[in-house]
Amino acid sequence: MNTQTIQCDALVVGGGIGGLTSALELADQGYQVAVVEREASIGGVMIALSKVFPTLDCASCITTPRMAAAAHHPNIEILTCTEVKSITRDGRLFAANLMKKPRYVDEKLCIGCRQCEYVCPVDVPHEFEGGLGARKAIYVPFATAIPQKAVLDAENCMLCGSCEKVCPSQAVDYFQRPEEIKVQAKSVVLATGFQLLPKDSKKEYSPPGSLNILSALQMERLLSPHGPYGRVIRPSDGKVPDSIAYVQCAGSRDKSLGIPYCSRVCCMYAIKQAMLLSGALPLADVTIYYMDIRAFGKGYEEFYENAKAMGIQFVKAKVARIAEDEEHNLNVRVELMEEDGRVEERAHDLVVLSLGMVPGCNPEEFVPVMRDDDGFVKCASPKTAPALTDQPGILVAGTAAGPKDIVDTIAKAGAAAMEAANYMRGLELDLSAVTEAVTGEEERAAERAAS
Amino acid sequence: MPEEVQTNDQPENREAKEPQIGVYICHCGGNISDVVDVQTVAEEVKKIPAVKVARTNMFMCSDPGQEMILEDLEKESLDGVVVASCSPKLHELTFRNALKRGNHNPYLYEHANIREQVSWAHHGDPAGATNKAIRLIAAAVAKAVRLEPLKPIRVEAFPHAVVIGGGVSGLTAARKLSKQGLGVTLIEKSPYLGGQTAQLNQVYPTEEKAEDLLRMLVEEVVDDSNIKIYTGAEVVAATGTIGDFVVRVRNVPGDTSAKGIGLIEKKVVFRPFQGCTVRSDRPCSPGDELEVRCGVVIIATGFKHYEPRSGEYSYGESPRVITLPDLIKLLSPDGPTGGRLEIQGHPVRDVALIHCVGSRQVDGIHEPQPDGRVNSYCSRVCCTATLQAANEIKDRFPHVNVYEFYRDIRAYGRGHEDYYEKASGKGVLFFRYTPDSPPLVEKTGPNASRPLKVRVRDTLTFGEDLEAPVDLVVLSVGMMPNDISDLVDVFKLPVGTDRFLQEVHPKLRPVEMAVNGLLLAGTSQGPRDITESCASAAAAASKAAIALGKGYVELEPFVAQVDPARCDGCGLCLNECSYEGALRLTDIEIEGKVERKALVNAPLCMGCGSCAAVCPHRAINVSGWTLDQFDSMVDAIAAQ
Repeated sequence: MNTQTIQCDALVVGGGIGGLTSALELADQGYQVAVVEREASIGGVMIALSKVFPTLDCASCITTPRMAAAAHHPNIEILTCTEVKSITRDGRLFAANLMKKPRYVDEKLCIGCRQCEYVCPVDVPHEFEGGLGARKAIYVPFATAIPQKAVLDAENCMLCGSCEKVCPSQAVDYFQRPEEIKVQAKSVVLATGFQLLPKDSKKEYSPPGSLNILSALQMERLLSPHGPYGRVIRPSDGKVPDSIAYVQCAGSRDKSLGIPYCSRVCCMYAIKQAMLLSGALPLADVTIYYMDIRAFGKGYEEFYENAKAMGIQFVKAKVARIAEDEEHNLNVRVELMEEDGRVEERAHDLVVLSLGMVPGCNPEEFVPVMRDDDGFVKCASPKTAPALTDQPGILVAGTAAGPKDIVDTIAKAGAAAMEAANYMRGLELDLSAVTEAVTGEEERAAERAAS
Repeated sequence: MPEEVQTNDQPENREAKEPQIGVYICHCGGNISDVVDVQTVAEEVKKIPAVKVARTNMFMCSDPGQEMILEDLEKESLDGVVVASCSPKLHELTFRNALKRGNHNPYLYEHANIREQVSWAHHGDPAGATNKAIRLIAAAVAKAVRLEPLKPIRVEAFPHAVVIGGGVSGLTAARKLSKQGLGVTLIEKSPYLGGQTAQLNQVYPTEEKAEDLLRMLVEEVVDDSNIKIYTGAEVVAATGTIGDFVVRVRNVPGDTSAKGIGLIEKKVVFRPFQGCTVRSDRPCSPGDELEVRCGVVIIATGFKHYEPRSGEYSYGESPRVITLPDLIKLLSPDGPTGGRLEIQGHPVRDVALIHCVGSRQVDGIHEPQPDGRVNSYCSRVCCTATLQAANEIKDRFPHVNVYEFYRDIRAYGRGHEDYYEKASGKGVLFFRYTPDSPPLVEKTGPNASRPLKVRVRDTLTFGEDLEAPVDLVVLSVGMMPNDISDLVDVFKLPVGTDRFLQEVHPKLRPVEMAVNGLLLAGTSQGPRDITESCASAAAAASKAAIALGKGYVELEPFVAQVDPARCDGCGLCLNECSYEGALRLTDIEIEGKVERKALVNAPLCMGCGSCAAVCPHRAINVSGWTLDQFDSMVDAIAAQ
């Protein structure tokens, strides 16, 4: 196994919007940064979104510049398809062992022309599209991926050799091996992000064989102008839905799932999607079943008021169960908590589950930081220095330390960068103090020797 | 002289060489191409003589899009680039930076907005939209032909920051910056450090004492030799730009409690509900002024609580109606009753907590404030703060009945939901109201068991009219920005419709303001809790460290430039200029003759163009936006 060694000031774990922001802040301050991303492209969850609340900016339009800025920054090195095996303290530094998974495509040679993709005979559900669209076994992860390089999915590849033959730069390499990368860094920023709770976590909301119950991220893709279908239709039969329901707190504030906390973003993304749906399908009814609407950020309450004015139905109700019949029409059993408290079965064409956030990974497996009861990284001084973990020199950014929306992620990523810079500055000062002390001692010793 | 001017006229030269322009049209993933026929646009644009290449791409801002431009610049030896995509506010800088990366002058670039101004505005008229896109691009090409390479203005960055506001955000920002070896001057209007946090007893969700948090922060700042603190001081004037501001600070007039501005004693005394005092050991008389030179200014001026109108929920009419900050004081051992829950000398037996007072107000329902506006925003912290108080009452006084009147419980943060659950478990009763039928607080008759009652139409019991007899009503008041109209004038700060300071981009650039070198921290920007304030303060410090760390900052070169050959020194431009020090008249010697000419101080010029508009001789122009360039753009649009 080849081993590469990288020396840098800060190692940022995670190439989503939080990690990239921390990396750029540090790099702009003059620090050398390495960003590790386990996927084949940076961009995290944000690059897969349609638009962002409350500005309704197109998510690709505001994420790609930041991705490109990080990728082209002279002080930033980005390692995709790379996982962190371990980070340990090594004297005053941190030593990280990384594993670069084989892409089966030589990153240096690939020009992103996608010829391989066009000839590949294998179709697989596309993860980036929430499994709704298809991709090939060799593919550029998505249109705005950085790096714009193909990746071969060995599990589904049937080794027909077509891609290798068509590749104009001989970049396909079926024999690529995992590579070990060792990193020496002065500080570590954990930006390992979140994942949505799996759709089938709550069995009441995931009847067997269901096709028309979507996760909110799947709906993001349907609403994207360059999404899997190019428009909003239901997956089972391609019908344009007339009636769409959102189930809030599907996997948040729910002790039965072990997730007692609020995921902070679901109310707002549901409202945003409902507004986008009203734009895309002006005749459709959109109903949001909620416990409390938590529109607490800047401009969010106003956004919520606009949604109400647009005719989106907000119904305070707990959804007990969702059923899907043979025609894949949905029946949502709700207990209306207002009106008269009755229990009703309501028919909808499509249901979106506003699933909560759970940690993107368990950092305890590779880095000596503590987690809190909620599974997210524990903050050492949550009030006054929220980017500090219990380990000096290891900082936390974004949703790795609990659910957050994009703007709060970015603020926290900036804070993590500042703390990392402060920590490294402290190291330098310590070092110069030590050097001074040593030189002083040596001088005195020399004087003594002379006298 | 006129002849000389002609020969020096760069655009003419460039035209003579027939500059070659590359045009790149973005689909924006369908945002543009669903309406505008980008292929037709490319074909039409290609017919313009100066256009060497015209290409389209799904996302021009993506890496492959940018690489395509850089490749063409080399292969096709282009002299200028036009990208037709979204608003220049989003991506003009992206493409300029791409040019810079490829070692091309980033100012040989022009941006055409065919999304906000075309596809979004005319989505019902694809043919018209396509035609408009062609015209806008033709105009951009006409300008691109006349672009000149420009150089950014380099200003030395003075390695010092001014932080305005001595609450948790200001203290945090100051300390983080000083740790980078930068000097900081912290200016606080009141005699105390600690801001609104000093009003608190314990903070959620850690239940740490606010005093301990503040002491720690203040002591660190006071012990820091890089940080100068001026309490009882305010900013009265400021000049300059990022890298080199001069901020004038003076003693708050009439403030006798402050000993004046100067060095402070390194002994921190905490006074409950006021803050930490730090005493000056070099008193000076009120009205004294001093000047601080700095490279950036961080605004951390915080919030004040909404003051309910007289009569709002009987506030001001009954002494038994108080605000949440009053309740926190009442519960504190340092408070007026020593921590006993008493009102008017009697123990409280039933208390009503009403949420969303001065927050989430609805136009037409809530009475507007003196400025004619309602507080339509959510104040973010009051739900959890109210639940925290409810829990404390239930823990310390288990026999007191607690009723909460709410619209939505927004216990969103880490550990916040626990307060909600615990409160329910301890028997706090919740009533939900809608903004159009808010709870009514009324005095009861002489025979009633409690002096007040709260009536509400409770939606949780399906619209039943319920009544809670109480002896104390607590209003969970929202946040409003402190009155900083003086600072808004001094620094020309952007203010949002919610009256809080406005960031550049509410998603991606939350701590920067439209004025370069001015940064935002904490609640001056909008409601948030201590955790979020400290995070934004540290993020602002990071931006400041970036600006000051290199030793210089680069400003955009889009500033006024005087052609001395055409300027006759009439001074009309001076009357129009609204930026102090940006423009002056001066005597210069030309061929032995002393003549009066206008002169621009580039770093102070904001490139607004007012001077260019009034100059009768076209002698003053904004670089990158000259009158000749505008003329050619207008011609191109009309010619199509």
